[in-house]
Amino acid sequence: MGIKVGIDFGTSNSGVAIYNGQRVQLLPVDPKNVIPEVIKTVLYVTRDYRTMIGQEAVETYYRDNVNRQRRFVKQWAGEIDVYGADMHYVRDIFVYVDELKPGRLLQYLKTALRKEGYGGTQIFERYYTVGDLAKTYLGLLKQRAETVLGEPIDSVTLGRPVKFSEHPEQDHKAQETLRNAAREAGFKDVDFELEPIAAALDYEQTLTKPQNVVIFDFGGGTLDIAVMRLGDRHKRDVYASGGVDIAGSDFDRAIIEKRMLPHFGLGQVKLQPEIMGMIHAIPDWMALPELGTPINKNILEKAIHAGTSPIQMKALQNLIYNDLAFTFYNRVEAAKIVLSNDGATIITLEDKDIALWELYTRHQFESDIYHYLVDVEKVLMDTIAQSGLEPGQIDAVVKTGGSSSIPLFTEMLVRIFGKEKVKQSNSFTSVVAGLAIRAFGNS
Amino acid sequence: MPSLTHKIEEWMKEAEARPESAVTIVRLIARRLNELSARNEELLTENIALQNGTRVEEYQKRIAHLEYQLDLLKRRFGTDELTLAELPANNMEASTLSLLVYNTFGRILRVELNAGAAKLGRIADEKLQSNEQPRILAVPSNEEVMLLFTSGRVSTCAVESISRVDLNNEWTWEKAALPDEPRAGEFLACIMPISHLPLSEFFLQVSRRGCVKKTMTSMAQSILGNHYIGKGTLQKSDQPFDATLCSKKDQYAFVTFEGKLIGLDVNELSYSAEDRIKMTASDYVIASFVPHEKESMLFVTQTGKVIHREHDSLELSKSPLAKGQALIPPSRLEQGVRFIGAASVRETDHIAVLDSKGNLHLHQADAITGSGSIEADGLILSIGVIPAEVWRDA
Repeated sequence: MGIKVGIDFGTSNSGVAIYNGQRVQLLPVDPKNVIPEVIKTVLYVTRDYRTMIGQEAVETYYRDNVNRQRRFVKQWAGEIDVYGADMHYVRDIFVYVDELKPGRLLQYLKTALRKEGYGGTQIFERYYTVGDLAKTYLGLLKQRAETVLGEPIDSVTLGRPVKFSEHPEQDHKAQETLRNAAREAGFKDVDFELEPIAAALDYEQTLTKPQNVVIFDFGGGTLDIAVMRLGDRHKRDVYASGGVDIAGSDFDRAIIEKRMLPHFGLGQVKLQPEIMGMIHAIPDWMALPELGTPINKNILEKAIHAGTSPIQMKALQNLIYNDLAFTFYNRVEAAKIVLSNDGATIITLEDKDIALWELYTRHQFESDIYHYLVDVEKVLMDTIAQSGLEPGQIDAVVKTGGSSSIPLFTEMLVRIFGKEKVKQSNSFTSVVAGLAIRAFGNS
Repeated sequence: MPSLTHKIEEWMKEAEARPESAVTIVRLIARRLNELSARNEELLTENIALQNGTRVEEYQKRIAHLEYQLDLLKRRFGTDELTLAELPANNMEASTLSLLVYNTFGRILRVELNAGAAKLGRIADEKLQSNEQPRILAVPSNEEVMLLFTSGRVSTCAVESISRVDLNNEWTWEKAALPDEPRAGEFLACIMPISHLPLSEFFLQVSRRGCVKKTMTSMAQSILGNHYIGKGTLQKSDQPFDATLCSKKDQYAFVTFEGKLIGLDVNELSYSAEDRIKMTASDYVIASFVPHEKESMLFVTQTGKVIHREHDSLELSKSPLAKGQALIPPSRLEQGVRFIGAASVRETDHIAVLDSKGNLHLHQADAITGSGSIEADGLILSIGVIPAEVWRDA
């Protein structure tokens, strides 16, 4: 008989853990990563459909893609019917395909689950639905965990945000897609636990007496809040839970929109809708790789030749055509992380014909994301109100998830609950540890 | 783009809110200023070069150099540009291997080698009228070589154009080819293969008294067109001994008769002729080579004794007054032990050896290093390396 594990399928990072009734064991599923127990939620699919995840995916992507050659070929993609007032004709549709592209790197797989209107993506000759992507990732993660444990895994407790989506239908659909993906990946028995509740179970291990606890799980994709009574393992109460799809990726996007886009021509290029479209697509991690077409290259070449913000256009061209997007997003994210501890940092991106340098301070970052603070505080206060407790009746506020370290939100929690009540759990492993405890309880 | 003033205001606000951030901001800006200052200097230099036409001249020279290299390749492969462009990099025209034995009078014996031959032939007549020993060079038969004369004059010829002598035969210098007869007062100093000219950055010359001169290969067209590279010496009595092609990352070594080894960093060498060793009046350079990693150095005495040193034992000398690494102990020097040849070799290479009876033999490099000596019928006069890859390609 196989064993049951807890899997935190996070927006930026994932993890696998197992609980034996006494202690939680976090599995080192990514030995190449700095923290082997944490694996990046990225999937790389090569042209011959080999798949890899985590640091291996990132390294292969860098090795094969950055500054590589491109060769576009025109391919028939289908046909469309065109109807006029008294005529009808069929027209062929062609797309330009880079036939030297060695593979595709996919990230934010979890966000894709809840993104309305996003069904999947074409990877070379095959179409991968969102479920296929999740299945592939979970399947590889399962294989790695089995290698570490040396025995088969057949059941899983998966973490899920309190709300995949504000719309109940979309929320249900996302969970079922994830459930099916897990089953197709080889898990016979799949159940779910809310991520903040999982984080609470981990925190509960440290308690000696019952407490009213707020779990503030602020990760890469969503903010999840749970108000709970913890400490008595036989009687846990979830007073209220809430969430909102604001998190780390939104902050990255805010930094890019407000600070990075001018380096690629925003505010300088006007009356050129094609170029404006390209600039505005930069913050969208799904749209940027699709911009690398010969037509766009021609448009940018013409702009450079005509002297239209040539430095910025050259930078845009490099960002798109030298596969620097992943590096760029990583640099922005790294700067955001640094600002959790330091007052200032720099965001740089240097390559052939691109020399981006931006001094970025915590004050600027906080002003860029300030509007999110209002929403986050509202969700928090609403959830507390739902629980029937007053902030003064809360004994502890447990922060988890990478974004929970951002000082702006810590200060908000301190302001509402008091400094001594705000506690930081392990940002990347508390949820998966709780999921393992839940998996043990359910098995 | 937000104005710099606006950005500075934002940075100031950060410094006001958290004074400790001010230090970080200043440090980051200072580092950036430093980078920009260095970049500004580079751009100013470039601007000056563009304004005074130096850059244009440089590009013109580079184009001329590339045209010359193309010409060389065309001649080597006996083809036109279109065919050359289509030629796969690893599919070079098959060629035989030629062993050139030459003397200072410009006489060259060319033997085409085949695998398995140990004894190659014999030079039957009196070896020379001068004190200089014949030299040995192994090259592919489709190679082009440059002849350097002691006056600083150069000329080129295709190896295949040098008439061939039969293998396993007796040869005389009278019957040897004379592709370019030395002029009055000059001798043939050395022969250098030049097909790698397009891939090399410098010509390096070393004189008999250890004077080294570096010349950029971008000057190749001028040098070969005008048939003059210069003597590369400082003293009137000195004369050129050897020339080779190399890149700036290479090291260069030369060895003297009395057993001194000098290692040099090519990148640090001056473009003007410079004495690189302090040697005795009776000493002179007998070999020079470009050592590479995975190769070891062999030093051979007249009696066939071989000294073997690893590549990393080469010490790079920076001073022109260096005495070099002494490889022959003083007691042996007193006994009259001297070097006649040295080379950088791999185990798989072959060594051609010419002895005082005129016999030309082939030996495996690993056999020589293993036994520590070269067996010959008489004193050893000269050695030449046949690199394994040249042998294999042939």
